[in-house]
Amino acid sequence: MFYSIKNPAERRYVIRMWIMAALCVLFSLVAALVFRLSHPHNVVAYLVGVLPALPIIGALVYTGIYLAEETDEFQRNLLVQSLLGGTGGILAVITAWGYLEDFARAPHLDLIWVYPLFWLFAGISYVLVRARYR
Amino acid sequence: MKNRLRVLRAERDWSQADLAHRLEVSRQSVNAIETGKFDPSLPLAFKLARLFETTIEAIFSDEN
Repeated sequence: MFYSIKNPAERRYVIRMWIMAALCVLFSLVAALVFRLSHPHNVVAYLVGVLPALPIIGALVYTGIYLAEETDEFQRNLLVQSLLGGTGGILAVITAWGYLEDFARAPHLDLIWVYPLFWLFAGISYVLVRARYR
Repeated sequence: MKNRLRVLRAERDWSQADLAHRLEVSRQSVNAIETGKFDPSLPLAFKLARLFETTIEAIFSDEN
């Protein structure tokens, strides 16, 4: 599966992202199980609660490492523009939603959605940026 | 930026994929440079010049 990706930097990136995704699922299950069985408090609750976020932070770090490792400057440029689109998109939506929650009593948006929404906007940006170079 | 990549490539009967392989970049990169939608960095421009045994100015032109 991974061997079909010819670009070594891209192959490493995809493998690392899959590992981080698997760890995120595993850590989420562990955290849920710990909270259900032992009801931790104080520092332990914070440590266990933050566990699923660690692979997500790892994925962001690996994205930065990929940008440093990618030797194809055009591909690097595509990803940078997509990430900027993703960052701008999520900042705009979260800010607008914050005001909607405050003034218009819009339903509360859990912060846990920020990360997947960031990648959703980055993905949309990638498609748009890619189309510009066709 | 205008360039003569398509002509230089055609003279050698290279496809975009051939050139991309020689430059160690993706075919999409070659296409973006060739169509003038992406300007290569100075190191990549030098690499292209060396590959075609010419100067950067003979490949790229900043005239509209």
